Amino acid sequence: MGARLLMNFELTPTSHTLADYRARGGYRAIEKALGEMTPQQVTAEVTASGIQGRGGANFSAGRKWSVVNLSDGQPHYLCANADEGEPGTFKDRWILENAPHLLLESMLIAAYALQVRHAFIYIRGEFDLPWRRISGALEEAYAAGYFGKPLFGTDFVCDLVVYRGAGSYVCGEASGLLSSLEGKRGYPRNRPPRLTVRGLYQRPTVVNNVETLSNIAGIINGGAEAFKATGTKKSPGTRLISISGHINKPGVYEIEPGGAFREFIFDTCGGVPGGRKVKAIIPGGISTKVVTGEEVDRLTLDNEALATVGSGMGSGGMVVIGEGTCMVRLLQVLLRFYHHESCGQCTPCREGMGWMHRIIDRIVAGGGRPEDLEQLKKISAWNDGNTICGMGDAAGYATVGILAKFSDEFEYFIAHGRSRHDGNLECRAST
Amino acid sequence: MPRIYIDGLPYEADSRQTVMEVAAANGIVLPGFCWHPKLSVAGNCRLCAVQVEGRSWVEISCNMPVAQDLKVLTDSDIVREYRKSILALTTLNHPVDCGICDKAGECLLQDYHYEHNGAPSTSHEVKVHATKFHALSSRITLDNERCVLCSRCVRFTHEISKTKSLGIVQRGDTSLVRASGDGAFETDAYSDNVVDLCPVGALLSRSFLYKSRVWYLKATPSVCPGCARGCAVNLWHRKPEWKLQALDARHNRAIERITPRDNPAVNGPWICNRGRDLAPLFERERATQAICAGFSVATPAAIEGARSLIERARRPVALVSSWASNEELAAFAAALGRHFTVFVKRDREPEPGEVVADDILICADKNPNSTGALANFASAWGPGSTLPEGTDLLLVWGEGFDLAQVPQSLRTIVLDAWKNPGHARADVFIPVSIQTERRGTYTNFEGTVSGFEACFEKDDSVAHAEDLFAALAAANVAAA
Repeated sequence: MGARLLMNFELTPTSHTLADYRARGGYRAIEKALGEMTPQQVTAEVTASGIQGRGGANFSAGRKWSVVNLSDGQPHYLCANADEGEPGTFKDRWILENAPHLLLESMLIAAYALQVRHAFIYIRGEFDLPWRRISGALEEAYAAGYFGKPLFGTDFVCDLVVYRGAGSYVCGEASGLLSSLEGKRGYPRNRPPRLTVRGLYQRPTVVNNVETLSNIAGIINGGAEAFKATGTKKSPGTRLISISGHINKPGVYEIEPGGAFREFIFDTCGGVPGGRKVKAIIPGGISTKVVTGEEVDRLTLDNEALATVGSGMGSGGMVVIGEGTCMVRLLQVLLRFYHHESCGQCTPCREGMGWMHRIIDRIVAGGGRPEDLEQLKKISAWNDGNTICGMGDAAGYATVGILAKFSDEFEYFIAHGRSRHDGNLECRAST
Repeated sequence: MPRIYIDGLPYEADSRQTVMEVAAANGIVLPGFCWHPKLSVAGNCRLCAVQVEGRSWVEISCNMPVAQDLKVLTDSDIVREYRKSILALTTLNHPVDCGICDKAGECLLQDYHYEHNGAPSTSHEVKVHATKFHALSSRITLDNERCVLCSRCVRFTHEISKTKSLGIVQRGDTSLVRASGDGAFETDAYSDNVVDLCPVGALLSRSFLYKSRVWYLKATPSVCPGCARGCAVNLWHRKPEWKLQALDARHNRAIERITPRDNPAVNGPWICNRGRDLAPLFERERATQAICAGFSVATPAAIEGARSLIERARRPVALVSSWASNEELAAFAAALGRHFTVFVKRDREPEPGEVVADDILICADKNPNSTGALANFASAWGPGSTLPEGTDLLLVWGEGFDLAQVPQSLRTIVLDAWKNPGHARADVFIPVSIQTERRGTYTNFEGTVSGFEACFEKDDSVAHAEDLFAALAAANVAAA
């Protein structure tokens, strides 16, 4: 498991409160940033830490911040992306519920670094307890004078609003999120321009994942070098992993990248129920390519290792698939989700998702044709890199990944009109 | 001024332009449904993609900023294959009902499919069905099955007409264009532009629905006479070679539809709904019978009667039409201008329910050539105007003046195109041609001169006003 940078306190009924957070040394990092550092120095420290985005894209947070020109005379905006919609991912929820002040303090630091007057937390509408916790924490923080007033004798003031989304997967995509935040339909935007050039209300905007932001306070407190000392060279820091599926101990874990994948699954998370084998694992949300049980045995849990099998740590939402699961049915579930959540703005995704879903439905209904698998790959390829946001690509990755590694199951299903595993989505002994 | 290369040829560009704009400015047609020069970039149809030299993928040209020495390919193998795939996806749920679609012949999807794909669908799935006839308003019907969700119509109501009366509801392949509220689209004075904007047969004008196949029609360039803006329009009417023999001959002289003709100096690519509704104005009952001293006479006889009245008049006054062309007004000025005291009258005033004026196109002056007329004759005839003392002859040209206003003792000559019982009060009435029967120019309120062409031949009993004035002034009118 290694170092703990975020889950480094005992959970109690009051650990999410301001009093407890202060008792743990809370709000010292913002005091240090305001007292000892310039905004540029804060950004430089974050860049030096090498922290990558935890929302799935793994883009350097510091580089993203560096793009914002602090002297452009425009308002800048900061938004925490708490629209945790990637299936299998619920790690940010843990922060929102248990360490909301860590996020708020980190956002204050980010707002100072980016010279932001108004910051936002865009939280998915389905989150109830996380919303109540973060809203409560924000009330406490306002009452304590951390927001809405000049802070620690400086002229830095930041206001923060928690905005509840209406429940759309695509609103978790940064530009779709901003469109929704503006009160428009949650449609992603074309790039260029980048959001750091023209984002919310056409102004430079930084959108960071909740976990990414929550690391900032620790980076400022402990320094970039201490942060880089954890994790791997290319994936510094720790990662929150939410694990679900056919696993004995589902939940949120903080890991240091670079450890053995198998160790994490079997030792930390208790392995598959009934002592069964791992058939496959979706390592970072369903938009990452699936890895097989054999690959899990030889891989370490980090981006570099997963990249060798065409996958990645993505959003940290791990789904374990035990033996006996029908991968055809699993792909049907995934494609149903993508079809349902496609915003419909651009042609390849709008039409492609529905087409793929209907093909897989037909296969599952026993009407598959040999050419269907090729058609699924073709539609995936048509989407790859050709859509406004990454959703079309993601569905393609999931499809191509499963088809590449479990093609025999699909061929069996098409040839026999039924599943080799009786269409099971439960974990049970292989037949 | 960066220079970019499209298919190896250099083009000068403005640094704020996109590749699509540079291509369009230089006559290079890149396919696309959602891009429109007057609307914001949506980049959702993905069809306009091009390949940047050296890269193995494509990027949409409508959102690609130009850069010095940028080299793009519009017809590489990768681009061709990509377009094929996009069209396969676009046609996936699009019904093949071209046989009953009003857009057939003008449909971009038809054109692009044949140009860039042409292959039958590889889909074995049932097409997604949606509403076939959704009344967006009393003027526009929407066929959701044909809609390719390019969002041009939505962006138009947000950016041009500014009513924000259209939006998209639902998600994915069940997305639907809908009015943003009950009757929201009804109040958009420019709503019919979405029919022209729609690249496929989704948005259809209810007034033109199933009226005619477009290949039977001819578009004659004209100017909208609805107001002083003088928007450039196309008047669509039956081609001579497709004249209907068996039906009422009026079908062959009907204006089937009016569409905007892009004129950046005046109206851009838009016109108001009122402008589209002016066809009935041209199809009112025409005056074809000349009258002289209460008797129906041949037109030459009426011209002779009018000429003698003019010759004898000492203080003649003319109320000239603000619907007259510059050429007709010049002809009047040359032939009779010095003899008459001339006032420019407004033939039309705003009608009840009509949008009087807005800050987009519609002008309060509902006459197309007030500016041109006032350039020739400085005095305007208004509601409080009276005839000068001693007037012994009044020539009224066009509509908008009731002869009952003047004493019966006053000699009157009326030149008009439309049937009106009031004409019988005139000493001489001469029927004249209308805009669709002649060519000419109008000067709009900003001073821009726009030309219009004739759609139809005039009736033999009707005179062209331009030719008439010389005859009214001449000693010999036999040639008229």
